Amino acid sequence: MTSKYLNQNALKGLTRIGDILIPGNEEFPSFSVYRCLDHVDDLIEYVPKGDVKDLNMVLVILSFLPGNVLRWLVKQMANAHNNQSATGPLLRELNIGIRGIVFSLYYSEKPGHNYTAKNPTELIGFTLNKVM
Amino acid sequence: MTEIYDYIIVGAGTAGGVLSYNLTKSGAKCLLIEAGKYMTKETFPITEADASAQMYWGGGIELSQDAQMAFLRGKLVGGGSVVNQALMDRFDDIAINDWRDESGIDYFNEGEMNPLYEKAENMIALHTFKAEERTRNAELFSEGCDACEYTWHFLRRAQKDCAFSKYNDCIACLGGCHRDSKQSTLVTYIRDAEKEGLSISPNTLIELIESVKDGIKLFGIANGKVVTFEAKNVILSGGAFGTTSLLLKSGFKKQLPSIGRYFATHPQFMFFGLYDELINAHKGMFQSVASKDPRFRKKGFKLENVFAGPASVAMLFSGYGTDHLDFMQHYNRMTCAEVAIRDENAGEIMVDKKGKLIIKKELTEQDKQRKHNGEAVLKEILAASGAKRVIDSPMYFGLHLMGGARIGVDPVTAAVDPDFKLKGYNNVYICDSSIFPNAPGINPALTIMALAHKLSQQLTV
Repeated sequence: MTSKYLNQNALKGLTRIGDILIPGNEEFPSFSVYRCLDHVDDLIEYVPKGDVKDLNMVLVILSFLPGNVLRWLVKQMANAHNNQSATGPLLRELNIGIRGIVFSLYYSEKPGHNYTAKNPTELIGFTLNKVM
Repeated sequence: MTEIYDYIIVGAGTAGGVLSYNLTKSGAKCLLIEAGKYMTKETFPITEADASAQMYWGGGIELSQDAQMAFLRGKLVGGGSVVNQALMDRFDDIAINDWRDESGIDYFNEGEMNPLYEKAENMIALHTFKAEERTRNAELFSEGCDACEYTWHFLRRAQKDCAFSKYNDCIACLGGCHRDSKQSTLVTYIRDAEKEGLSISPNTLIELIESVKDGIKLFGIANGKVVTFEAKNVILSGGAFGTTSLLLKSGFKKQLPSIGRYFATHPQFMFFGLYDELINAHKGMFQSVASKDPRFRKKGFKLENVFAGPASVAMLFSGYGTDHLDFMQHYNRMTCAEVAIRDENAGEIMVDKKGKLIIKKELTEQDKQRKHNGEAVLKEILAASGAKRVIDSPMYFGLHLMGGARIGVDPVTAAVDPDFKLKGYNNVYICDSSIFPNAPGINPALTIMALAHKLSQQLTV
């Protein structure tokens, strides 16, 4: 896939971290299997330009990290709310920014182009009746 | 030739909507400027992710400097009133008296505020929920309160016809109401103001205002181009972040050092209860009850029964991997409630050299104590209602952004005079939540509307 806002290495980094956050199981597709990254531009279009530049840089770095280092980093990010050290704010910002993109895409009811199984929202029982 | 308006209103949210209608109707030539889009029920985004990206500043969320607190701020014509819960509460004696003491302003009393509240209420359809409208989420919350002998009440919301009898699921209205039932200022004031001749400039971010002879000049960016506007008067209604950052970027802090200070936000801490039974908290009317216990009010917190879409719920849980999937598999067997505290206004709104917003907002010891007290009570209520497990979210939110350009008589602690004029300026008015003297501990929307009616009366006499 291609993106107007994220380069190929950034997309690779986002896919890798997406699969750590949502690895999938017998019932749920993983982040990459669901192919929701196809719709990433729908979100990034509205992110402030300066932040998109920073996001590209961070995701490119993540794309090159060894798997065990990336998993360690995700763990640090997930526990960053208790981190009172100088790295705490950066880890929290990363955590919220990246999780925001990954979870928004995964639960966006927009499957990737070739995905035909049930959506994650259907699997958790989220259906809405909108009376117009 | 540049058009000169009687009033330019910067920020098309709760206050901006009311002011634009009242002033235009009185015959004034008005321009309403908004940084976000002009959307309608036909163009509101469909999904939670798109609504978050397109209708909020920062592409969904903004963070405090230490990235501990997240802020949600509507960015579209209608502002927060399009994306909030539309809860309409009058201030109680405690809040009004505290404002009077803090600001030194006499009109903060029930006798003078009540007619303003009535004016605001008369412009919108209001609905107070009934027992039969409760979802299972709300029933469990109220049953838990009853079991613990805590007082709760049905909420009053600005809504016209939410079609609950046809099983409409209202959670989607956080991304704009597709029925125009929610009484946002877009629906109740701005459209009527347009019929009266109001001009609107959406997608326009004002970066600087300058006081010139006989008027005000405004400079900004619209669709990538530099734009300039002129008016005899300007009213800043961009909310605590929008108004305060514009004042700071325009250099007013030199004369008025209190600008940016006294920021408060009613921090909200979310808790999930997991149950064996099917709850489907996302179905039907998703917020209809809250605590109303005088003991909680005294202790500086309240409890609200809420819920959220799957992406937001996923964000609120700290786990990942299989923990995340296990948690989300319980989505339709969860309830959710929040502790909202009446916080100290110790925060500060700043801008850096590039004009980027920086929000310093740490919880004070008193704030932490209030959160702690609320959490203990809420966990007791959740357990009494049958929750098998309670999960707290490490993320907390500021949804009511208040202060930064306080109103009051003291020029050291306030930037805005009791008549809503920026101190020392005859044609710069401030009217929005940035003028709040402190955090009231009560939903602010109705009071923002009441204050906008007060300024409207003053300007149309």
